[in-house]
Parts: sequence; structure tokens; C-alpha cells
Amino acid sequence: MISFQNVSKRYPGGVHALNDISFELGRGEMAFLTGRSGAGKSTLLKLIALLERPSRGQVLFEGRNVGKLARRQIPYLRRRIGVIFQDHRMLSDKRVFDNVALPLMIAGVSFGDIKRRVRAALDKVGLLDKEKMYPPMLSGGEQQRVGIARAIIARPPVLLADEPTGNLDPALSAELMDTFLQLNQSGVTVLIASHDLELIKRLGQRVLVLDDGRIVDDVGRRGGPGSGDSDG
Amino acid sequence: MARARRTLRETGTTGVRAWTRRHAFSLLSSLGSLARYPLASLMTVAVVAFAIAMPLALHLALDNIERAAKQWERLDTLSVFLEIGIDQPGVDRLTSRLSTWPAVLAVDPISPQQGLDELSRQLGLEPVDDLLADNPLPWVLEVTLAAGTDRAALIQRLQANERVDSVLVDLRWLERLDAMTDVLGQLAWLLAVLLAAGVAVVIGNTIRLDVQNRREEIEVMALVGATAAFIRRPFLYSGLWYGLLGGLLAWAMIAAGLMALAEPVARLGQTYGEPVRLLGPAPAIVVAAVGGSALFGLLGAWLAVSQHLRRIDP
Ligand SMILES: Nc1ncnc2c1ncn2[C@@H]1O[C@H](COP(=O)(O)OP(=O)(O)O)[C@@H](O)[C@H]1O
Ligand SMILES: [Mg+2]
Repeated sequence: MISFQNVSKRYPGGVHALNDISFELGRGEMAFLTGRSGAGKSTLLKLIALLERPSRGQVLFEGRNVGKLARRQIPYLRRRIGVIFQDHRMLSDKRVFDNVALPLMIAGVSFGDIKRRVRAALDKVGLLDKEKMYPPMLSGGEQQRVGIARAIIARPPVLLADEPTGNLDPALSAELMDTFLQLNQSGVTVLIASHDLELIKRLGQRVLVLDDGRIVDDVGRRGGPGSGDSDG
Repeated sequence: MARARRTLRETGTTGVRAWTRRHAFSLLSSLGSLARYPLASLMTVAVVAFAIAMPLALHLALDNIERAAKQWERLDTLSVFLEIGIDQPGVDRLTSRLSTWPAVLAVDPISPQQGLDELSRQLGLEPVDDLLADNPLPWVLEVTLAAGTDRAALIQRLQANERVDSVLVDLRWLERLDAMTDVLGQLAWLLAVLLAAGVAVVIGNTIRLDVQNRREEIEVMALVGATAAFIRRPFLYSGLWYGLLGGLLAWAMIAAGLMALAEPVARLGQTYGEPVRLLGPAPAIVVAAVGGSALFGLLGAWLAVSQHLRRIDP
């Protein structure tokens, strides 16, 4: 599904955010991306959704080199990837309902379907009673969940999440991870950047460890129990 | 069957209905942004309206003046002075011959005696018969022209006649008016072109500010997979609205102006003993002005949005 081949990313200004990264994420697989702040987690996710372009190497999505994608093809790639942003990226002057509905409006889904699906998605993240509110009225954790609803609303085959539990208390975090597991079980490929090691360990999924722009560990690949990462 | 419909609905990206829905979304979005800052929107519309109304008003004024001038021309006559030696039968023959020319509406012969009477009456004198042993005035034919006559050609033709001494025309002021309305007509066109560009600039600038204010929204839309066309469309609609509303307001202003002027013009006509009426713009002109305004609004929006989107390309 997603394949990195010797990818490096150097930001203008000289920061080497990623250095010679290679890994594969199979269809329907779920993995965590962890590492210290500044290790390059966000950058790696951005390269997949073409929010940034690699400086060197290739990023393949469904076998296609995204770096070679024509500009007008990019929106269609992005529709196949649900992204949960670290900074939410909500529209503060639009209601929660409209924020979540945005991907469906872009796709031209009928209003009746939009209504039904937005309600279902908000219900899933426990925010059905907040649909008429504006994002600034919500807590950080609630905004994060609105972001999740928006990311999954169009049922993309791939879900990327950047620190989705950053602002949540442990109980809510666990609940959210359950949601991700469910989505993964229904066939969605999931890649989550997080430094919540406790939570990650408990879930027993594959973990990619980034340090200073390099992958230093890749634990519990492909359905392994993952309990054996105590040595890592 | 049911399943096929379900998949189509779920994809949602293809088909006429999805296209229509996306356009409806853009349309509502554009109206929303117009309503969000009503005063600013109103000011833009007003500026556009003035820019459209100015050349339109000039065009209307010229149109009405030209029509009035045509009427004056027709009412005017040529004074054809005949040779001194001509006798009454000769005058009659010439009169009936000229009457058959299509360019001539009427010929009215004035004898030297009649001319003298008229002259003395105008000068406020006693009949001058007594003072002048010999009447020095020639026969004069007052020739009224048919509408749409080439005056210069007719004068040439009259002067070619051997019994005609000279032809008196005092229409130089009308010619001057004609030349002036021609110049002003050119000016109206130039003004229209300049102000059309002005409309595009004003609307483009308004749209540019709107794009700047909604930069965050544009970025987020791009992040969740909106195409450039989808992002651009609400702004294009906005430009279209500004142009269309401005054009319609210009038309309303012109109509109000015509109504306000109707009375004074009618009174002016009464003093001349002639019914004078201001004519409004032809439907084609109205359509061209309003449609052109909308089109230039669209153009301005297109330029502003394209340039700006390229710069903030996420
Ligand atoms: N837009 C940017 N321009 C310049 N440097 C950046 C940009 N985004 C991230 N960086 C730098 O790249 C490195 C990796 O950042 P990031 O991918 O955000 O790490 P993480 O998400 O793991 O904290 C950091 O040193 C950061 O300062
Ligand atoms: Mg980050």
C-alpha cells in the first residue's frame, strides 16, 4: 500500500528531517510511528499525502510514485487518504457538522447522505450533541475527535494520524485507539504517529521507531504479538 | 439495480447529480461570502454600478441628442436663390421639376414681392415699395428636404442648375453638433473599455481580499482533496455576482435618472411646441451592459484567484 524507498527530506533552510528511509506498509496493516519530538514523524506522514515532496528517493502509494503525480491528480490521491492533523486544521467559522461534511461535499455526495454519514461519524467519536457548535467552543480533545470524524467520513482506504491522542486523557485515548483498531479490522490501512509508548505497547501492533530522521527499529511486523519489544 | 445505485451514490464523484451538487455548494458558498461582509460587498457593487452607468449615460445622452438633431435637420430648409431674370412660368416649371426629386419633400416659391414684404415686416418698417423703385430681391425657392437626404449632394445638384444663382444653407452648427456627437460617441466607447477594465480590477481586488481572508479554509479544502477548480469556483461565482448586481444597479440608476428627467424634458419640448421624449436604452444595450459587467467580474475574479492560489499552493 505504502512504500518508502531511500527517502530523504531536507527542508529549505537546511534541516534534514528524514534520512534515507525505507519501509513498507501492507494493505490492511496497522502500524505506529514513534520517536522523540523532532524525529521526523510528521514529515513522514506529510510525504504520503503529498503535503510535502521528498528531496530524494521515492514514496509509492498503491504502487504509484506519488512524486511523479501530476498536480491535478493530487486531490484524488488525498481523497484516498484520511489525515488527522496534529493541529486539527479545523475551520473555525464553520460548524462541527460542516467541518466533518467537507470531504463529502467536495465529492458531491447528496445532502441526505451527508447528513446521515456525518451523524454516524460524530456518533462514533462521541460528539453527536456538538454538531451545531463551532470548533473554538470545543476542548482540544474534542477538536481532535472532530478531526478524526472528518478523516474517516469519506471511508478512505488509508488513515494517517499525527499524535491523535496528544490532547486526550488516558480513558479517551484508549477508546480512540479502539476506534482505530476497529477501522483497521474493517480493512483500513492505518499509520499513527505517537509518542504515547504505554498505549502503543498495550495494543501490540507494529511499531516503527524514528530517531533523528532515521528508522532505528521496526518491531512486531505483520500481525506479530509485539509483546516481545521489551528488548527494544 | 438497487446495488448499482448505491455504489454510484457512495462514490459521489461522478455523474451529473454529483456535479450539480458540487456547483450548488459553490453557489451557496459564494452567496455566503457576499452576505458575510454586506457593507463591503455593497460598496463593491456600487463602484461597479457607477463604472457601468457612466458610459451608459453618455451613450444615452448622445443617442437622444442625435435623434433630436435629425428632427431639426428635417425641419430645416434650403433657400435656393434664382437668377434675377427668371419669369413666373420659369419659376413654376422649376418648382414642379424639383418637387419630383425624391430628396425633396416640398418646394415653396417666394416671389420678390413676398420676400420684400417679409423683410420689411421683420425690420419693422413701413412697406418699402415706396422707397424702392425696383425690387432688388430674386425669386427664392424654400426647399424642404426629405428625411435621410444627403444634403451636400443635393446642394451640388441644385447649384448645377443654370437658373439657380446660389443656395443658402445655415446648417453649419448642426454639422458641428454632428461632429461633436461623433467625438463624444468615440469617447463613450473608450470610456466603456476603460471602465470595463476598471470593473475587472475592482472586483478582482475584492476577490483577492476575500481569498486572503479565507486562506485557511482554502488550505484545509486542499488538504482533504478539493480540486483547484472546486476551490476556485465559489470565488468565480462571487465575481459574477458582483458584476451582475453592479450591472443591474447601473441599469436601475439610469432608469431612475430617465424618470427624473422626463418632466423637465417634456416642459422643454412644450416651449418649442414639439413633443420631446427621452428614450431609454435599447434592450440589446442593457443586456450588453449587464452581461458585460458580469463577464468582466468573472474575468477579474479568475485573474485574482488563479494568481493567489498559485502563490499559496499548499
Ligand atoms: N516546514 C518546515 N520547515 C523547516 N523545517 C521543518 C518544517 N517542518 C518540520 N521541520 C523540521 O524537521 C524536523 C522534523 O520535524 P517533524 O517531522 O515535525 O518531527 P516530529 O513530528 O517527529 O516532531 C524538525 O527538526 C523540524 O524542526
Ligand atoms: Mg509532529
